[in-house]
Amino acid sequence: MLWPLFVLLAGSDEAAPSFAPLRAVEPWLLLARTLALTAAVLAVTLAIGLPMGLLVARTDTPGRRIALVAHAAPMFVPPLLPALGWFYLFGRNGLIGGEASAGLLFSDLGAVLVLGLTFAPIVTSLAALALWNVDPSQEEAARVVARPPRIVARILLPAILPAIALAAVVVAALTLSEVGAPMFLRVRTYAAAVFARLGGVDFAPAEAFVLLLPVLVVALALAAVERRSIGRRSFAVLGLRSFRSAPFALGRWRWPAAVFCWSVTGLSITPLLALGWRAGLRGFADLPLWIGGAVWNSLVPAAWAASAIVALGVVLGPLLSRRDRAATRLDLVALLAFVAPGALLGVGLAAIWNQPETAWVYQTSAIIVLGFVGRYAVVGVRTLAVACTQTPAQIEDAARVFGAGYLRTLAGIVVPLHWRAILGAWVFAMVFCLRDLETAVLYYPPGRAPLAVRVFTLEANGPEPVVAALASVQVLLTLALLGFALGAAAMRPRAHDDTSVRQRQPEFREHAGAL
Amino acid sequence: MRHPLQMLVAIALLVTAGACSERPPTKPEVVVYTSVDQVFSEPVFRRFEADTGVRVRSVFDTEETKSTGILNRLIAERANPQADVFWSGDPVRPFLLVSRGLVEPYTPTSAAGIPPAFKSAQGHWTGSAARARVLLVNRERLAGRRRRGPCAIWPTRAGGGRPPSPTRSTAPRRCMSPPGSQTGGDAEATRFLDALKANDVRIASSNGEVKRLVTSGEVVFGLTDTDDAFDAVKSGAPVDIVYPDQDAGGTLVMPTSVVLIRGAPHPEAARRLADYLVSPQAERMMVDAAAHMPLHADVATPAHVVPVARIRAMNIDYAALAAVMDRIQPQLRKWSGL
Repeated sequence: MLWPLFVLLAGSDEAAPSFAPLRAVEPWLLLARTLALTAAVLAVTLAIGLPMGLLVARTDTPGRRIALVAHAAPMFVPPLLPALGWFYLFGRNGLIGGEASAGLLFSDLGAVLVLGLTFAPIVTSLAALALWNVDPSQEEAARVVARPPRIVARILLPAILPAIALAAVVVAALTLSEVGAPMFLRVRTYAAAVFARLGGVDFAPAEAFVLLLPVLVVALALAAVERRSIGRRSFAVLGLRSFRSAPFALGRWRWPAAVFCWSVTGLSITPLLALGWRAGLRGFADLPLWIGGAVWNSLVPAAWAASAIVALGVVLGPLLSRRDRAATRLDLVALLAFVAPGALLGVGLAAIWNQPETAWVYQTSAIIVLGFVGRYAVVGVRTLAVACTQTPAQIEDAARVFGAGYLRTLAGIVVPLHWRAILGAWVFAMVFCLRDLETAVLYYPPGRAPLAVRVFTLEANGPEPVVAALASVQVLLTLALLGFALGAAAMRPRAHDDTSVRQRQPEFREHAGAL
Repeated sequence: MRHPLQMLVAIALLVTAGACSERPPTKPEVVVYTSVDQVFSEPVFRRFEADTGVRVRSVFDTEETKSTGILNRLIAERANPQADVFWSGDPVRPFLLVSRGLVEPYTPTSAAGIPPAFKSAQGHWTGSAARARVLLVNRERLAGRRRRGPCAIWPTRAGGGRPPSPTRSTAPRRCMSPPGSQTGGDAEATRFLDALKANDVRIASSNGEVKRLVTSGEVVFGLTDTDDAFDAVKSGAPVDIVYPDQDAGGTLVMPTSVVLIRGAPHPEAARRLADYLVSPQAERMMVDAAAHMPLHADVATPAHVVPVARIRAMNIDYAALAAVMDRIQPQLRKWSGL
């Protein structure tokens, strides 16, 4: 991650780095506007995601689990796709659109709503996950003397604050770095401007890097907020506890809650369904002509990258969970890479790898894999760090005392204990790579455009039904992957998985000793 | 392996080796970078593949960075060129490659029928199916302003005058295209651009966006290319096309242009593709699919396509225009906001 950016900073023979762009007022105004947009998106996601998370995780709202799964779908696809879906509905010539709805959609407010609805499931999911894993003893004690609203306000919400903060950081990072949807909705954002700067007629990547510096400051601020306000709890709270409190009975509020829950779910999946509607039979019939090898071009690099990211997570996650200093610094770099405009990373990678000696990387999917790993390593590292925090470090220490080497400890303890987290990290990383647009779009190998890029390059002038069909394929591909993951996670657990890790600590120590 | 660092290195090597383990091509191939719309250019490549058996590996530009994204990639890759052919949507960008010594001169065998104005005598670029820069006008939005025409918003040159009806496919008399630095000087161009801003003119990110803005009625009219304009007409939107400056300086005509890259990995296949892209057969495909104007006189045009010979084309030196474009970039960036 750092290498490509240093190459850009060093400049080329044509474009020496200059801080002149930051002396103008326009970039700062644009950054302020982007931060305001990000804050508004954050507000929408929290306003939707928090109550939704509470309802699906801690109440007896009818159909809550199905609602959660359906509601979560948009967060796994590029935001450009829901934006396209809304356009097919509310564009001037959309199914139920008119001048007013088109005006609303193609405005700052429209961008906030589209991105807010797309990213709200991130808050919902993390809040629900945290709520499922809150220590039930405090809540059960509170139930004796307090009514549910008070328990929510005084016990549950404070307990899941780290998860909410983590969700906020993820939403802010994704909004700041998003390019496709704002460009489509004609809303100027900082990341889109950096992307356009890299596409400007006078090629000056060093200048684009200079424009990145304020974003890096924002990313550092986000990381600092996370570290200072949440600290170690950001890893500890999202465990995989096996026993939970009974859900709150909503009584007469049960059906109004269901209406809210399913309305939000409806809003989440409507744009995705609209893609299928717009594609129609014609779009899907023409698909073979236009899709080429795009699915394969998406899946192969994403699978390689996800495997590498998980491998990194298996190595760095345990170290990060124990607050190893080097791992903590690498985690910070990974977080910065996640927030930084992906196009810049892409140009830096091209500058490094397009040499005759390294053509075997630059001319193949390996260059995309490298970009994905640099950009999304944080997904694997954080997921594994969260999982490893749930197990005491003494288990690994004991193994080492008994002479197990590093690799054997990983293979004998870390991997078997955390196989579900590893699977989850792989799927999450794969999904992030599949939904990526801005990292690969400027440097994908000739003839190997991933599906998201193909949708992006065809979107402006391609036949709408075909573009909608391609987008639908992207959605179906992602959902199939998630379905596979859910199926794998639902497999009958082995004996040592179905009980709290902490409860079985002596057993693990024994296991480590045997190693 | 006894240390995490060793493990990280092993992971990096394994994954890179795995991702690189793609089979070498079994048949001849050619790499083309193009800023011609993917929806139009890809069928041409497919036909070339079917006719010649040469596999085409393509990189397409996005609408928002049209021409320049690909151009920048070509410049960035100059030390180790990956592309064999650059099929540009206009004849101006290739000169930025020429000035950097990245172009291999070549005159396609099919270029004989192309008028001299649309090809380089040195073989640096050869024009093919062309577009014109036109005004796309929304009839419904214009209804209340018909007496004044689109020039009510577009700044006029000194002297003003009565604008003609924008609904005819001929030029408004006084509603003229922007004076370039090439013709009117920097000062006049700056005044014109500032006047645009003062008139609350919206700066769109692409021709496709202009089309969407006009067809949706968000703006009364916009400056775009004929392919997008005809696409808007075909969609049934209440729009008309106006060729500006037909009784003055002429309308800007931009042929797509084919350029060979110096030091390209597949020079022979590149020449074959260049021959094909300049051929009447490829032009015919662009005429049918994208309403481009053919440059070969023997390529028939459907009723909705206006041949180049029937409009007054702006007499322009594309090389000089490219130099001006390069020079005024800082001012343009400042004007557009970043």
